[in-house]
Amino acid sequence: MIQIKNVSRTFQSGDGVVTAVRNVSFNVPTGTFASIVGTSGSGKTTLLSLLGTLDKPTEGSIEIDGVDITKLSDHKLVAYRRKQIGFVFQGYNLIPNLTALENVVLPLSFEAIPTAARKQRAKELLTQVGLTEAQMGRKPARLSGGQQQRVAIARALANKPSLILADEPTGNLDTATGKKIFDLLHLLTRTEDTTILVVTHDLPIAGKTDKAFRLQDGELL
Amino acid sequence: MNVVTLGVRNAFRNRTRTGAIIAILGLSIGLSLVMLISYQAVQQKISDTKRSIGNTVTIRPAGNTGMIGGNSSTLSADQLDGVKDIDHVSDVTEILTDRLSTEGASEGMPMGGGTAKTSLTSPVELKKSTNSDGVTTYSGGGLMLAGGMPENFSPPITMAGSTNPTAGDTIPEGSAITITDGKAISGTKDADEAMISEAMAKKNNLKVGDTFTAYDTTLTVKALFTAKTEGANNTIIVSMPTQQRLSDRSDQVSTAVATIDSLDNLKAATTALQDKLGTDGDVTSALDQADKALQPLASVKKVALFSLLGSVVAGGVVILMMMIMVVRERRREIGILKAIGASNLRIVLQFMTEALTLTLIGAFIGLVIGVVGGNPITASLVDSSVGDPTQPGPMMARPLMVNVGDLKDIQAHIGASVLLFGLGGALIIAMLSSSFAGWLIAKVRPAEVMRQD
Repeated sequence: MIQIKNVSRTFQSGDGVVTAVRNVSFNVPTGTFASIVGTSGSGKTTLLSLLGTLDKPTEGSIEIDGVDITKLSDHKLVAYRRKQIGFVFQGYNLIPNLTALENVVLPLSFEAIPTAARKQRAKELLTQVGLTEAQMGRKPARLSGGQQQRVAIARALANKPSLILADEPTGNLDTATGKKIFDLLHLLTRTEDTTILVVTHDLPIAGKTDKAFRLQDGELL
Repeated sequence: MNVVTLGVRNAFRNRTRTGAIIAILGLSIGLSLVMLISYQAVQQKISDTKRSIGNTVTIRPAGNTGMIGGNSSTLSADQLDGVKDIDHVSDVTEILTDRLSTEGASEGMPMGGGTAKTSLTSPVELKKSTNSDGVTTYSGGGLMLAGGMPENFSPPITMAGSTNPTAGDTIPEGSAITITDGKAISGTKDADEAMISEAMAKKNNLKVGDTFTAYDTTLTVKALFTAKTEGANNTIIVSMPTQQRLSDRSDQVSTAVATIDSLDNLKAATTALQDKLGTDGDVTSALDQADKALQPLASVKKVALFSLLGSVVAGGVVILMMMIMVVRERRREIGILKAIGASNLRIVLQFMTEALTLTLIGAFIGLVIGVVGGNPITASLVDSSVGDPTQPGPMMARPLMVNVGDLKDIQAHIGASVLLFGLGGALIIAMLSSSFAGWLIAKVRPAEVMRQD
């Protein structure tokens, strides 16, 4: 269960203060495929960063499965992020000089997992998201946008996280490929028993999720 | 995919840039090593030269530089009285020198001797050379003759009386002598006996037991010697009382050389001697003179040191700039690594491995440059600084005890310690630069990087 209570995030911008997220509160039950929808600049990505422990709120608390992540030290946050959270980005953000397989192996190498087991797990995940053996050996530049996003999803799943945060995962893809990726994420909610929170500005996509939250000017509507 | 593998692979991500960085690093490390090798070789030469000079102090009349043809004033026995009693002075050699004209050849000519004559002919062969201004000079044996060569000219001969005739300080240029035939004369016995060089004996068809004249007196050759320099071989050596008698300068001394009991007491003894003589005499320790003679080598040492520091700094800056560039270029990647759970330490180690990989390859190239270039560059530096000993210069402008040719005889040794020092230095610089990169990495906030998505 994700519990967000009165979370605000402000930034210093020149002489003024910008409030990106203002007093937001909501809950997401475990295993839910949820979405946060809003226009550009509504605070979606900031909220995603706060949930992903990449940033800390100025006010409020965020509890994931009973752990208040706003109170964890930086060191503990790294470990928490590694074990409990997976990220999927709009621009895929794969490491360009590593193959698809190596990109998925990478987060596994942060843990004390034997090399063979890492490779085995990465191959299983890549197969699960629909990559062929040949595609696994290719570098990102030699894969299509949809294939790269599948690799990114496999990487996010590598350490069996309890929460996957996806920031506009279909934003760079054509409609057909975007739908396939969306369906894949939806499927993973069931098969991997993972909570997925998707940030999007696409209302029809948000409408297909189990739960949708709408942000406007940093406030939850 | 462990951190080392990733770091090594990242080092070759952009081959053109990697090649350029390795080349610059290699040159920088190579130059550092060459300068380190030069510095050590020159330092060793300076130490060896100073050690070989020993712990002596030269006493001359004020204003007398000891140059042939210069101020010929002398000190009196009274002035030197008590010198032997000064603390730490273990021995004093007294010397009286004169220049003799060769029979009918050099009297009254440029660089010729005085009115005193000898029947001997100098073994010195003057060599002709012309400088860039077109001036012709003839030089050899510590003598130099500018302009044309007068007819019938033959170089004058130095005659030296000494209380210790076999001491190196007795003859010009401080060259130690080796008796090759006969028996060394006594320095305190007044007798018409002399020692001449093998070169002079050969030139004049003399052997031990033969006679020649000087100051209109017949002297018997008691021994033959060899010395390292042409000037030293152009000297007749007699005892001090003999020289004083023949030159009619009783109780006169042109140079006294005091031996000090240890190098540690050299400075104190030099000061005490100068205090004793006051303004009558100039007191110079061998080390003072060696310092002057070794000035060119000291300059080379300084150049090598500054070049060493410069190239080390340059190498450090190259690695630092490279790491800053790489970190800036890969900010997003660092953000991604942090987002997927990599710790700062792991990312820093990855970048450190990258820097160390490039540095190690650069160091290997640098070692090759150092090994190949160490000796020739050292020789070239010393050669251009010390000058050419075969070219004419001011007579005895250099102190007596240091041979210019010897100064140029430097062998740079490229030992394991130098190579380890170079390699260690390069790695330390790489690690320091990487640490700075690490600080930059720690500052990268993944949320900010993600925002640019």
